[in-house]
Amino acid sequence: MSEVTLESLTKRYGDELAVDGIDLTIRDGEILGIVGPSGCGKTTTLRTIAGFETPTHGRVRFDGVDVTHVPPEERHVGLVFQSYALFDTMTVRENVAFGLKMRDVPRRERRERAGALLEMLDISALADRRPTTLSGGQQQRVGLARALAIEPHVLLLDEPMTGLDAALKTRLRTAIRDLLSDLGVTAIYVTHDQEEAMAMCDRIAVLNAGTVEQVGTPSAIYRRPANAFVANFIGNSTLLTGVAADGRVDLGFAELEVAAATDGTVTVAVRPEAFEFEREGPINAEVTSATYLGDRTQLTATLPDETTVALHADAAETYRTGETVSLSIDDTSVHVLE
Amino acid sequence: MSDDAEPQRRSRSDAGVDPNSQADGGSVETTIEAWAPSRPALSTRVGRPLVLGIVTLVVLVLSVPVVVTFVSSFAETATGILPRGFVTFEHWRDVLGLGGDQMAVIPGLAFSLAIATGGMMLNVVIGVPIAYALTRYEFYARDWLNTLAIVPLVPGVVLGLAFVQTYPNHGRSALGLIAGYCLLKSPYMVLTVQSSFQSMDLVRLEESARSLGASWPRTFLTVIVPHAKRGILAGCIITWTLAAAEFNFTFMVVSGSPDPFAVFLYRNTSNATYMQQAAAVSVYFLLVVSAIAVLQLIGNRGFTTIRDQ
Amino acid sequence: MSVPESTAASVRRVRTFVSTTARPTTERERERRRIAIMCLPFFALATVAGFVPLAMLVRMSVAADAVWIEGWSLDAWRTLLTEPTYRRVAWNTVWFVGLATIVSVVLGVAVAHALERYDLPFERAVVAAVSFPIALPGIIVAILVIAMLGRQGLVTNAIAAVTGTSAIDLASATAITGLFLGYVYSLVPRATMVLRGTYAEVNTQAEEAARSLGASRWETFYHVTLPEIRPGIAAATILTFRSGLAIFGTVLLLQSHHVVTLQIQREISVGTYRPDVAAAIGLVYVVFIVAFTFVGLRFVRTDTVAI
Repeated sequence: MSEVTLESLTKRYGDELAVDGIDLTIRDGEILGIVGPSGCGKTTTLRTIAGFETPTHGRVRFDGVDVTHVPPEERHVGLVFQSYALFDTMTVRENVAFGLKMRDVPRRERRERAGALLEMLDISALADRRPTTLSGGQQQRVGLARALAIEPHVLLLDEPMTGLDAALKTRLRTAIRDLLSDLGVTAIYVTHDQEEAMAMCDRIAVLNAGTVEQVGTPSAIYRRPANAFVANFIGNSTLLTGVAADGRVDLGFAELEVAAATDGTVTVAVRPEAFEFEREGPINAEVTSATYLGDRTQLTATLPDETTVALHADAAETYRTGETVSLSIDDTSVHVLE
Repeated sequence: MSDDAEPQRRSRSDAGVDPNSQADGGSVETTIEAWAPSRPALSTRVGRPLVLGIVTLVVLVLSVPVVVTFVSSFAETATGILPRGFVTFEHWRDVLGLGGDQMAVIPGLAFSLAIATGGMMLNVVIGVPIAYALTRYEFYARDWLNTLAIVPLVPGVVLGLAFVQTYPNHGRSALGLIAGYCLLKSPYMVLTVQSSFQSMDLVRLEESARSLGASWPRTFLTVIVPHAKRGILAGCIITWTLAAAEFNFTFMVVSGSPDPFAVFLYRNTSNATYMQQAAAVSVYFLLVVSAIAVLQLIGNRGFTTIRDQ
Repeated sequence: MSVPESTAASVRRVRTFVSTTARPTTERERERRRIAIMCLPFFALATVAGFVPLAMLVRMSVAADAVWIEGWSLDAWRTLLTEPTYRRVAWNTVWFVGLATIVSVVLGVAVAHALERYDLPFERAVVAAVSFPIALPGIIVAILVIAMLGRQGLVTNAIAAVTGTSAIDLASATAITGLFLGYVYSLVPRATMVLRGTYAEVNTQAEEAARSLGASRWETFYHVTLPEIRPGIAAATILTFRSGLAIFGTVLLLQSHHVVTLQIQREISVGTYRPDVAAAIGLVYVVFIVAFTFVGLRFVRTDTVAI
């Protein structure tokens, strides 16, 4: 497996800038998640790594070797799609062995290696069936086996679980994560589902408008978002404006004991779970809506400075619109944006 | 005025409902009165029978001549209203050349089928690639090219006229006919193959194959073409069947022997008996029926370029 | 100054374009080469069998000697413009094919509606019956018309037996009605094919919603279905009209109405041999079809008017 480096990668379609100077390194053996809103350049980035797009500027390197102009069929990149894109005219085994056949691996060896992969993914029983007769989850495994068969430098997964139902998704993502880390595969996992990205990936890159907003471990991205975009895109955050001085931030209606890099006006990101319900708290908020979600009640409320916040409340309690709740903010789980 | 109109209208509709619900309502009449339907709209009573009547008529007009012609080919005589004297294979023997008659259609038909086969094979070579390019890629003037490829803009008569003058030596040869048939029937091939391509995820299939190491020509031949094989087969059947009985272009071009099938039919309209002609035409009917059967078997809606979803 | 400069620039651009297509380095250039390769066979055939003959047609129409294609003369075009025969042929063609088109499209809507909306018994047989005639060349359609409506025809004889009139008087195969039926016979299946394709795309839920809101069947058809299939009707009209214009075998055998294809054939027959006029008619005919199709395409998708 390889380390993949993107150097100021830029892709322009006519006047439209799809990818705007991305610098990113995917370390050998890690699973890197790429998340971002639709149209942020995720797919273009992926296709550029696979070789289906040639960047307008910048380079793609595999283990330091420049592959920017190498055609896709010579790149050794594994691809797994949301639509699976299996070859319906071939059996499952032929699908998995296809890449080896293209590399002129002898017939016997092809069979053995395909068999081993099917075994590993627990679909040996399906080897002689046609893809059209398989369920979505089974097809996804065939797609994965097919991509892994060529022992790719890097495995690219483009929303591979979007078509599957929730329970299967949860089961499959653990299985796939364990498999990929056992094999030590370098993988890039594109998804719009941030929960999936958190569960599957070693690190996550948040893309927006063709640029990387932040790269980091799931917890770093969640707990210490680099900017307002990341704070809002990953999970739910309320952004509050305050004045920082002497290791404190004054919000006007409350004070937080958090250190800010600079004094003056700052933006603070507060997660819903950072608000604590108190009998007599420093902050009073008026409930504007309450939605019962089973494990909790989702509240929206208006703070004294007219900011709307999302709150997670105990499902056992009943809340009414117009009611006033008393809150405090847990200083340790707020983050001052740079 | 309007105040007056209100109760009036209501009472009239009440009066309308009453006899109706009495007629079929029975004892539950009082409870369902509010729901009792007014008389069904005119279109409900007349519309469907009318449409069904038209459809029946159309189907009869389209199929009766074919059936009668086919049946007549086994009759001894067709004087009188209905053909009489069943069953004789005399005319089929004549037509198939077993009676040594001049009505033997086989040489002409064989010639036509050979030419049609040539045109069909050429159509696979030219039609499948351009259908792929038009479906898979976006490019400059794609729409124009698409129109050129799938809309037959030059009628057979005009093309025939131009062909003979442009290629006085080869235009009338088998090669000329193959080229002409291929061009005239290519829209059918391009369309059927296109609709086959449209039903699959071409981009992902191609990208999967290429990322697995298949060069692009190899991807096209070992992945794309096999996936479209039903469409290609349907296109082959349609272009082949149509070319086998092509008349307009052939008539303008051909001057030699043997006469292609359709031209042969034309030349013999006056000197063949009706039953012989019926048998000759029936040979082609059988060809078309088998074509439709195969097309329906591989998922086409009969003899068209449209596929069932 | 600027003209040669911009010419040089565009020459350079074309040269880069050609050289990158021939020796591509980026994926986009490779793709362009693939497109070129894929379109090449079709272009080769279209050039040899289509464009070159059409160009020859243009040359023929302005040749002084149309047999050896020598010299220049506008005689053919002058004949076409001045002789009233040609105007009559044009008018004959347009009204006759136009009427056949209208009838065929109306019938096609009914058949498509029944096939797509009703649970018909023997649906496959009905589909086979309405698609069968697409495969029949005009010459066979003419033979069928004669078999039904000719002097010995089944329908003619049946009516003669019932009414007691002479079959010879009743025979209408070579009258204009026989030809008209022949046209409709060829065109209804084509109209139906296009309309079925459109019907299949119509959202039936909108129809059901209209019914539940109290619209009668006719009101539903008129307000909901019809607007949705209007593009299909336009496409069917374009296709049917174009196919009707191209009919030749039927009219050649029945000879009962003087339309454009018949005129072309007459111009190159022994006795009235005028290939330059035939070429000119052919060109007018092709230009008309192309113009008509492209005007029609402004209103509908290309693939719906194909074939």
